[in-house]
Amino acid sequence: MNADRSEPRASARAAMAAFIDALRRRLRDFESRASLPQELEQTVRQVVASDDLPTRFTQAATSVGLEVHPASPTDWMDLIGDILRKHDAHSVVVQLDTDSPLGKRAATELGNRLTADGFAPTTALDDETLFSADAAITSVAAAIAETGTIVCTSGPGLARGASLLPPVHVAIVQTSQLVPDQCDYFDQLAGQAGLPANINLITGPSKTADIEGILVTGVHGPRHVHVVLVSP
Amino acid sequence: MSTPTAFRQRVCEAVADERVVRAVHLATWHKMEARAESMRQLRDPEAIRELAAQIKQHTLENLPHYLEQFVAQVERSGGCVHFAADADTARRIICDIAAAHGTKLAVKAKSMTSEEIHLNDALEAAGVRTVETDLGEFIVQIDHDRPSHIVTPIIHKDRQQIARALVRETGCEYTEDAEELTAIARRYLRDIFRRCDLGITGVNFGVAESGTLCICTNEGNGRMSSTRPRVHVALMGIEKLVPRLRDLPVFLKLLARSSTGQPLTVYTTLVTGPKRVDDPDGPEELHVVLLDNGRSELLTGEFAEVLRCIRCGACLNACPVYRNIGGHAYGSVYPGPIGSLVTPLLQGLDEHAELPRASSLCGACQVVCPVKIDIPGLLVRLRVRTRRSQPLLKRAAIRLWKWMMKSPTRYAWVQWCLSRLLPDCRDGWSRGGPGPLGAWTHCRDLPIPPKQSFRKLWRERLSDER
Ligand code: SF4
Repeated sequence: MNADRSEPRASARAAMAAFIDALRRRLRDFESRASLPQELEQTVRQVVASDDLPTRFTQAATSVGLEVHPASPTDWMDLIGDILRKHDAHSVVVQLDTDSPLGKRAATELGNRLTADGFAPTTALDDETLFSADAAITSVAAAIAETGTIVCTSGPGLARGASLLPPVHVAIVQTSQLVPDQCDYFDQLAGQAGLPANINLITGPSKTADIEGILVTGVHGPRHVHVVLVSP
Repeated sequence: MSTPTAFRQRVCEAVADERVVRAVHLATWHKMEARAESMRQLRDPEAIRELAAQIKQHTLENLPHYLEQFVAQVERSGGCVHFAADADTARRIICDIAAAHGTKLAVKAKSMTSEEIHLNDALEAAGVRTVETDLGEFIVQIDHDRPSHIVTPIIHKDRQQIARALVRETGCEYTEDAEELTAIARRYLRDIFRRCDLGITGVNFGVAESGTLCICTNEGNGRMSSTRPRVHVALMGIEKLVPRLRDLPVFLKLLARSSTGQPLTVYTTLVTGPKRVDDPDGPEELHVVLLDNGRSELLTGEFAEVLRCIRCGACLNACPVYRNIGGHAYGSVYPGPIGSLVTPLLQGLDEHAELPRASSLCGACQVVCPVKIDIPGLLVRLRVRTRRSQPLLKRAAIRLWKWMMKSPTRYAWVQWCLSRLLPDCRDGWSRGGPGPLGAWTHCRDLPIPPKQSFRKLWRERLSDER
């Protein structure tokens, strides 16, 4: 099997290398005129750190169709219960990153609490579960105030499908996770040693306007996305 | 083949369909307004466009370097890179990948590049059922139609047509409610997603420094197709590269605004390699297919800047010609102003010599283009290159025009003649006239020349003042 695969791989490499060489020859006498701009931020940045980030985030997120619920460390679980009840959700996938500022115990506590409230929480991330769950509750890697974006990444214990497959997605964002602008988020990524295989910048519920320009949500991804925004 | 008569016939058919013309007008108009409004949120839209153009231009001029870096990084992250010199090779590579995995069912996210190489036909011929998962492209597929816009492919269809197509394909109850229709498609495609074993996506930007693929969708078809199947094939033109991760905000802030007036597409997905060992889900293999298909030929020539295009579709929405004839009349995969450039350049000047002429050269496309491609200027240059394909009479007329414009006396004389020759239709416009003049004014609004020319007025006023 391995031998089978390595041969096409070697020939793919050779084809690529030959093309790059040919391109180099073609461009040899061509004088490059455009230099790579170094100073981007000045032009691109829309939101700065001194702005009121939770307010900016809330405005931007609301305008793209996310529902933002301001919360405190003591009432965020109540809020999640309310949201789930509103959508008649019963089976709920809970996927909280142990590295998130919510703390290591948050997932267990939330699970216990949801069970006590009559929901059926699970931390299973297999296809069967993800495709049939009524809702998913996830932590986020970051959130961007400029656009009202939440960022979910893959990683150990973090399924890509959690924020994608169930019809309702509840994301827990700590205000300390807010970055002002897209620039800040991508700078952060550039400084990171290795990137997760999959990063999703989520800006609103899944939507389409393909049918006569009418806006419809919930095409492939969740129809409802809630953000529980926890300030210390 | 786009012979002048075939092209003319398609245009005539298109403008005769009032329903489609109205639908396209409305949708493009709406998007233009949304675009204008969202661009105002940027601090300095002009400067960002300039930056975007410069970054892309730089990348193109140093493409071997960035390609090398990109390939190395994709491989480092565990992905496999393939190079396809032309459409045929790209189709073969992707069919081979499908065959190696015994694929029977593949899903596809929206990708113009895959349309360019007519990938679906090849996969179907190889026995792989390939399902489009962008709602618009899905409707196009089940209705055996063709997309008419690069961002919103069924801009030309009304909901009755969409409903009938869905009923036929899924056996659902007939409904004209957009939400219900979407829900029907969602359920149908969910089942496909669960069963498929290969996912094909396009790529909006490939980041050289990290080997990251950036895929933008609103519905989530890009996410689904790169999450569920065991194998992810990403097809990208070699011009899609940007050097650094921090270049992405420059383009992301422009792309969705230019397309639909959104600040950002709903899902901006960054893929760096296949699933890691500890990841609970995701594709086990990632194949990146880099497509040339004529692009590298353009790099050193006068048309290089068309490769900056990020396929936002703004130039289509802005174009008075596109708005009136819709996408199908162009008879090419890429319609609108950018299509009128790219199609002849990539697929042959002679076959598509009419396309560069399908423009009023009003310049609206250039004003909205996020990467500042001089579309009208390049269209004129393409016209020059294809002038031999024009009818003799027209070429002679243009010669004559040139000769006339070169001398003030000749110009004045012709002006005087025309003001006598052009018939006054009493509604302020002139139509008809002798010989070729009649053909010319038949479809062009020409105001009636005033009885006194500007030069004459100028001379008289000047002498009055003295
Ligand atoms: S040419 Fe410019 S406006 Fe037209 S699709 Fe490309 S990037 Fe957009």
